[in-house]
Amino acid sequence: MVGTEHVEMIPVAKKEIWSAKVNGRPVEVLAPSNAILLDVLRDKVGTLGVKRGCDLGTCGCCTVMIDGTPRISCLCLAGQVEGTSIVTVEGLADGAHLAPIQSCFAEHGGSQCGFCTPGFLVTAQALLNENSAPTDQEVAQAIEGNLCRCTGYQQIVESIQAAAAIHRGEAEPAAPASNPHPDPHPSGPEEPQMPPGHAR
Amino acid sequence: MSGGYRQQPGGAGKITRKDGKRVAGKQAFPPPGSGGSNPTMAPRDLDFIPEMVGGKEAQPAGAHVHDRARTGTSVGKPTALVDSNAKVTGQAWYGDDVRLANEVIGKILRSPHHYARIKSIDTSKVEALPGVLAVATGADSPHQFGVLPVTKDEHAMAVEKVRHVGDLVASVAAVDEATAMAALNLFEVEYEVLEPVFDPKKGLEDADEPIHWRGKYHLARTNVQKRVFQEFGDRSLVEKPLASSHGKWKMAGVHHGFTEPHAVVAHWDPNGRLQLYTPQQVPHYTHRALATVLDVPMHQINVIRTFVGGGFGGKSDPFPHEMCAAILARKSGRPVRITFDREEVYWINRGRHPSHIEVKMTADEEARISGFDIDALIDGGGFASFGHVTSYYNGVLATAPYELGSFHYTGARVWTNKPASGAMRGHGAVNTRCAVEVGLDEMSEQMQVDPIDLRLANLLPPHSRTISGFRITSNGMREALEKVREGSEWDNKFRQMPLGKGLGIGCGFFISGSGLPIHWDPNRFPHATVHIQVDMDGGVTVHTGAADIGQGSTTAVAQVVSEVLALPLEMIHVRSHESDTSPVDLGSYSSRVTFMNANAAIRAALEIREQILAAAWEILGYHPNNLVLNDRRIYYKHDPAIGVSYLKALHKAQEDKGALIASGAYRSPPMGGVHKGAAAGLAPAYSFSAYVAEVDVDVETGIIKCTKVWAAHDCGKALNPLAVKGQIIGSCHMGLGQVLSEKMVYGRTGHLQNPNLLEYKIPSVHEMPHVVPIIIESCDPEGPFGAKEAGEGPLLPILPAVVNAVYDAIGIRLRDLPLTPDVVFKGIEKAMKAAGADDPLDLKSPRVTHGDLQPVLVKRAAEHKTRDQARQRSEDTSQYVNGVLFGFDPNIPLEDQVEGWRTATEPDPEQLAELGLAGKAWLKKEQRHMGGDE
Ligand code: FES
Ligand code: FES
Repeated sequence: MVGTEHVEMIPVAKKEIWSAKVNGRPVEVLAPSNAILLDVLRDKVGTLGVKRGCDLGTCGCCTVMIDGTPRISCLCLAGQVEGTSIVTVEGLADGAHLAPIQSCFAEHGGSQCGFCTPGFLVTAQALLNENSAPTDQEVAQAIEGNLCRCTGYQQIVESIQAAAAIHRGEAEPAAPASNPHPDPHPSGPEEPQMPPGHAR
Repeated sequence: MSGGYRQQPGGAGKITRKDGKRVAGKQAFPPPGSGGSNPTMAPRDLDFIPEMVGGKEAQPAGAHVHDRARTGTSVGKPTALVDSNAKVTGQAWYGDDVRLANEVIGKILRSPHHYARIKSIDTSKVEALPGVLAVATGADSPHQFGVLPVTKDEHAMAVEKVRHVGDLVASVAAVDEATAMAALNLFEVEYEVLEPVFDPKKGLEDADEPIHWRGKYHLARTNVQKRVFQEFGDRSLVEKPLASSHGKWKMAGVHHGFTEPHAVVAHWDPNGRLQLYTPQQVPHYTHRALATVLDVPMHQINVIRTFVGGGFGGKSDPFPHEMCAAILARKSGRPVRITFDREEVYWINRGRHPSHIEVKMTADEEARISGFDIDALIDGGGFASFGHVTSYYNGVLATAPYELGSFHYTGARVWTNKPASGAMRGHGAVNTRCAVEVGLDEMSEQMQVDPIDLRLANLLPPHSRTISGFRITSNGMREALEKVREGSEWDNKFRQMPLGKGLGIGCGFFISGSGLPIHWDPNRFPHATVHIQVDMDGGVTVHTGAADIGQGSTTAVAQVVSEVLALPLEMIHVRSHESDTSPVDLGSYSSRVTFMNANAAIRAALEIREQILAAAWEILGYHPNNLVLNDRRIYYKHDPAIGVSYLKALHKAQEDKGALIASGAYRSPPMGGVHKGAAAGLAPAYSFSAYVAEVDVDVETGIIKCTKVWAAHDCGKALNPLAVKGQIIGSCHMGLGQVLSEKMVYGRTGHLQNPNLLEYKIPSVHEMPHVVPIIIESCDPEGPFGAKEAGEGPLLPILPAVVNAVYDAIGIRLRDLPLTPDVVFKGIEKAMKAAGADDPLDLKSPRVTHGDLQPVLVKRAAEHKTRDQARQRSEDTSQYVNGVLFGFDPNIPLEDQVEGWRTATEPDPEQLAELGLAGKAWLKKEQRHMGGDE
C-alpha cells in the first residue's frame, strides 16, 4: 500500500447469498460475488482459526479442507466452492474430542507460536485421511506448502507421524506428558515410594 | 477421595474412545488436593529429584541453591506448552482475531519516496468521503518515541520528513476495508524529494540533509547513528603471528519472517481508558511509549498482549501503527483495528542489519588466539530502534568463549533511507560470530591443527571473566564441542570426504538476559516480578507480564511453580496477557524471560510453600524440615503415612486471612567493568553452543544442501526439554535461511524488491536438514533450577558451521551471505580459473595432515578439561580472568602486569589512520566539539 497512486479499486460486486457446509454446519452468508474464501470464513462465518499470513498463497496458514482436499483459502473465490463441505481447524475436533493430530501437535512440539498450526493441522489431517502410513518423505511433500518459522518442521513431522500411528491403531493417544496422573486413578492402596535412605 | 473428578459430567470413563480419539474434556484430572491423606498419590519421581536432596538426577555441576525446592513434579520433564490446546483448536487469539463490537478498520498511507520533506497534506477530500470516521496525520502526534530512551527518533506518523519508502504518512479509519482503501487515494500530499542514502559507506560521509539530526551530539553532518570503539589487552601480542586470518564479509539484511503479520486493535472504553490489543513481545515498552505519545498517564492504558504469532525480535519495538490505532480510536470513538498485509510487515522491518564486517585475527606460536580485530559497519535503515545496542553487540559478544590476547573493535551504525533494522534472534552477535568462527577455521588450517582441538585448547573456563569484563558463570562449551565431535564422527570425516561433501564446525556464545534493563531506573526496580495467588479451591493463579511468543515461557513459569508446590501443572493458571493485572515485566528480548521470570516465580512460590508447610506443621506436629511435598500431599519424611493433603494444609494456612498471596522479583546482580559501554553485553549468565553441519555442494550448479546438523546447546538446565529441542531446531531453521537463501534485496534504486514470502526465501520443509539436538546442562548457579537461555544462542553456530562445511566440501571460502547458488558458482568459477581446471568436478577438496602443534593442543585441551571440571564443581574457586593463558596472574590487575595493556573506548589520535571501514566514523567530530551550530 505504498504511494498515493493506487490502482483503481476493484469495484465492489453485488452481494449475494453464499452457502456451504462449514464444519458440518450449513451456513448462509451475504457476501460480494467476488469475495475471497478466506475473507468470508474469517469475517462472515467467524471461523477465526483460519489464519491470514500473506494473502498470496505463500504461507499456507489459511489452508482449509474443501470436500476433503486441503486448499489455500486466500487464493480461492468463495463462489468457486459454493455448496461444498469445508473443514477448518475448528472442525477437526469431534465436539469436545480432540483429534489425534491435534493432541499430537501439542505433545510433540508441533506448535510453538501456533499461528501456522491451523494450516498444518488441516493439511496433515487430509493426508492422514488418505494415507495413515505415510513415509517422512510423503509427509514432507504434503506440508511443503505450509510455512513454519518457529519449529523448523522437524517436530511437526514427528507430530504427524505420531498421529498416523494412532490412526493405524498402533499407539494409544498419550495423556499430556505434563500430566503425572494416569487414568483411571489408582484406587487400590499402594506402597508409597520412600526417598532413598529412609526405611519405613 | 479415590478416583478423579471430571471436568465434564458423564461419570467415569475412558479418556480415549474406541476409534482412538481422545476425549478432550476427559483428561485425567484428579481433584485438587486429592492424594490427601490417601497415600495412593503418584509416587515421587526420583529421576527428577537431584541427588543432593535424595533423588537420582545426576548433577554434573554440583548442587544448586534451588535444589531444596525440587519436588520432581515438572522441571526437566518434556512438557506440552500449557497453551497448546488453544493453538491446536484454533481458539488462540492473535492480533487480527480480536473483533470488538462496532469496530472500524484503520489503514495507513505510506510514503512512495525514499526521502522527502512533506510540504503539505490535504485531508479534506478524505474527510468528505462517506464512511470515513477519522483521519490522522503527523500533526496529531508530535511526541517522539523509540524503544531505547537514548534514541527516541520515531513518530506515530511522519512529522516533517519521510525517511524510507513505506514510512507512515497518515492514517484513516473507515467503516470497512474497501472504504478505508478508497480513502487512501484521496490524500493529497506534496513532497519535496531529497537525496537519499542507501549505501552505509556513504552514510559515513557528510550529507546536506542528514536523515536525523541529534543537535550537539550529531556526528559532523554524517548519518552515523552510533559509533563504538573498544580495545582491550596487549596489542603487542599480535605482532608476530604464527597464523592469521583476514576476512571481509558482506551480509545481507534478513527479516524475522514470523507468520503473523502485525495487527493491533485500540479501543477507548467508556471510562476513557485505552485498551490496546497487540501481539507484542515487550508490552511494557509499548505501554510507556503510548503514554508519551498520547499524553495520558500509564495507568489509564491497558495493554493486552494477544497470542503472538512469532516474534524473534520483530515485535519488540513500540510501533507507530499501534499509536495510529490509538489516535484513530480516540478520534472516531470506535474500536479501530489495523492489520498489516505482508508487504507492510517488510516496511516496518526491524530485521537483522545488512552488514559489512571485517575480521582480522592472529594466533601465536602456541596456537593461542593473540588478537581479534573486528570492524562492523551496519546499515540501520531509517530509525534507531535497538541499534544503539546492536552496535555494541557486534563486537562485545565475540569476546567469549575463547581466551584472547587482545581485542579490538570498531563499530558504526548508520541511518540509511531503508526500512529500519532492529533486533532479531541472536541480536547483533550473529554476523560477527560467523566471521570469527570462519577465521578460526582458516587459522587452524594454516597451523595444521584440528579446528575443534584449536577451540578446545583456547576456551575460557567456567567462573571466569572475559577480556571485556563479562562474568562467565557456568560454561558447557567444552562438553558441547565434545558431544558434536563424537556425534558427527568428526574425526573420521573432516577433510576426508569426497569433493562436494563437507563437514564444518561453529560455536556460539550469547547472553541470557541483559544485565541492565532498557529503562534503567535508579530506583532499582526489579527486572521481573511475579505474583502468585492461591484461593480456597486450591488452584494457583500466577500473574506475570512475561510475553510468551511461542517459546514456551508461560509453560516454564507454570512448571517452576508446579515444581515448588508439588502440584500438577493443570492446577497452575498463568495470567500474562494484561498490563492491568500483571506486574511489570520488561518483555521478551535478549533471552531474558525464562531466566528472570522463572527466578521471580520461584521466589514467590517459595513464599507460598513456606506458608503451606507452616500450616502442615501445625496439623502434623513435624517441623517443615522434616516434611516432604509430593503430588498434592505433605507428609513426614520418615513415614509417608503421616501426612496431610495439600488442600487441608492450604485451608489451614488461609484461616483468618483468605487467599495466600505472594510476590517474587528478580534483579540481576551488579556486574561488569566501568568503561564506557561496559553494560552492553553484560548478562547474569551466558549460553554456549557448538554445531557441526554436514553439507552437499553441487559443484556444477553451486546449490548447497545442508543434510545434517548436530546441535549441542548449553542451556544450563532444560526446564522443558521438549521446548528446548524445539528452540534448537527452530534456530537452525532460521540461521540456515540466513546463510543459504534469505536476503532482503534492495535494487539499484534502493527499492526493496522482495517484500513477500515468495521471493524472500524462507526454507521450506524440503530444505531442512535433519537436526540432532543435544542438550548440555551445566547448571547455572544464577539460573532458575540452573537454567539459562535457549531461544537465541542456538542460532549463532549454524552460520559458520555451514560456511566452514562448504569450504571442507569444495575448498572455497565464501564471505558473501547468503550463499545462494550464484554466489557459490562465482566462487567455483574463480577457483577453477586459479587451478586451471575446465570442469568443476576436477576441483580438489581440501585435505589436512596434522602438524607439530596438534599434540600440543590436544595436551593443553586435556589439562584444561581437568581445570574446567574442577571449576564447574566449585572444587577450584580461584579467580580466573582472561589472560591467564598468556601467563598473567589473575589476582593482580592486568594493567599493572603488562606495559601497554589497554582498556580504551576511544581511539588514540595515532590510531585513526589505520582504522577499518566503520572506524572511519572516528575521523569525524561531534557538533559540540566543532564549535558549530546547535
Ligand atoms: S494467507 Fe493464504 S497462503 Fe498465506
Ligand atoms: S509455530 Fe510459529 S510459525 Fe509455526
